Amino acid sequence: MNYPEKSLIHVDNLTKSFGDHLALNNISFSLEKGQPIALVGPNGAGKTTLFSLMCGYLLPDSGSVSIAGITAGNEKLFGRLAALPQDAQFDPRFTISHQLKFYAQLQGFSRKNASIEAERTLDLVGLSDTLRAKPDELSHGMRKRVAIAQTLIGTPEIVMLDEATAGLDPINAREVRELVSSLSADITFILSSHDLTELERLCSQVLYLEKGQLQQHQSLQSEDSARYITLRMKQPYDNFLQLVQNVSSVVSVKQTQSNEFLITSTKTPTEETPVDLEILQLCHQQKWQYSQLTNGKTLENQLF
Amino acid sequence: MINIQRLSILTQFELIRIFKTKNGLIALATFCAVWFVLLYYMISSATEIIFSDGFKMIATTLFGALGLSALLEWQVAEFSIYWLVAVYSFPLFALFAASDQTCSDKARGTLRFITLRATRSEILLGRFLGQYIILVILVFLTLTACVALATIRDAALFVPSIKQALVLFIELSIIISPFIALMSFLNSLLSSAKMSIVMSILFYTVGALLIAYIQFQFNSGEFLNYIFPGTQISRVVSLQNLDFMHYFIPLVQSVVLLFVANLLLKRASL
Repeated sequence: MNYPEKSLIHVDNLTKSFGDHLALNNISFSLEKGQPIALVGPNGAGKTTLFSLMCGYLLPDSGSVSIAGITAGNEKLFGRLAALPQDAQFDPRFTISHQLKFYAQLQGFSRKNASIEAERTLDLVGLSDTLRAKPDELSHGMRKRVAIAQTLIGTPEIVMLDEATAGLDPINAREVRELVSSLSADITFILSSHDLTELERLCSQVLYLEKGQLQQHQSLQSEDSARYITLRMKQPYDNFLQLVQNVSSVVSVKQTQSNEFLITSTKTPTEETPVDLEILQLCHQQKWQYSQLTNGKTLENQLF
Repeated sequence: MINIQRLSILTQFELIRIFKTKNGLIALATFCAVWFVLLYYMISSATEIIFSDGFKMIATTLFGALGLSALLEWQVAEFSIYWLVAVYSFPLFALFAASDQTCSDKARGTLRFITLRATRSEILLGRFLGQYIILVILVFLTLTACVALATIRDAALFVPSIKQALVLFIELSIIISPFIALMSFLNSLLSSAKMSIVMSILFYTVGALLIAYIQFQFNSGEFLNYIFPGTQISRVVSLQNLDFMHYFIPLVQSVVLLFVANLLLKRASL
């Protein structure tokens, strides 16, 4: 099999069904090493199935998954690929420290270094004081963060997080995002989530699955996105649409949500009189209050 | 290929599960309490009965019919009773003790964490070895208690007790192996320890009836009995005229069950 030169993950004609239900239908794509990758799709789209196939938890009906040139599930990937599977729980009979040490030892750490590694990874997720706790003594959010800690044991090249922030309070969710962001220079994260804003903040590539098929695979920093501006206003203004459309370089203004507008222009923000500055000046003149101005489309607008 | 280091870590973790967790220690305490009662009230007092002439007459007739009269000749009488209890109770205990090798971890999703760090074959074999070592330790502890009991009664019995204990240790260690492997096999198919126990009971009841029916219908099929772990027990219980087969059968049963369990676990969805 020939893989693209920089390809980290290569999925080739992958099909998986459960009984009569076709969970993944002949999907193919390649992902490169680098910035976090988003895996998006509605419930039942096949995201978790794809995760499970990439981790080797499931065997495909046909097709193949290759990670760094190695077939998914192969022992050569131990220590290189880590994952937070959705709904996977720790053994309630053992302390967190004991289980993390066990995983570290399986990855080749000595008994002493495994203890240090368990402390280091728990510290990364801000839970160093839970070393002696048992899983049942922790909240749902804390258990999730401990599960993220186990993915960071050693020096993984790829970390797959399935719904990593689901069920976390906003502060903990932000901490997880910050952690992913801070480690993404060394680790390629693949994140599945329903929170598109979160994925937008973190990811540079997106895979959109729907009904078991890959609908889109694109970079969020495409050149085309430079022609778009997303403007979120604090409140509705009567003549907003008309005045924005009157800006010379604006081609169209589309209301995407109650106070959110997608503005298409003929110029890019790098030109002499950028369209974003023109719009900001307009807001200032009209005394409009805006809450957010983003270059390009939001992930939601790109996908739907 | 099996990585010995990972296999060893997985096996050690099983030992910790029984000797360092609350549930494991409760199970261990229950086992000790049952064996204390057996040793103190049954085996110890039975020794006096065995030595009485009245019992010897009845037992010789009864045990002779069962082919067990040789047990009455054992120098350390405690071991005669111990052996009769242990040879049937340890396999049964093994079925229960080893009923949750991978089931809970599979149902809980913990196996997903582990399979990113160890192969499924290593997990299966590690868990089997862990359970096997635990049971062998328990056999050793009960034999040690029996040696102590006999030595307390008569200090001169210490050396014969040790010799007898060694023989029984080897025999019991061989006998329990396929029972643990049977649970490894059932664990690879099912996702609950309770279901594994239920299936093992059905295997021995419905399975035996089915095989008896086949044998009756076709007037052959004796070999089918070899699918049952412990099929050789009735022949080895007298510990006389033992041949190579009585070691070979449980060994082959263990290997075959683990081999099939490995095939199933490798293809299982986690």
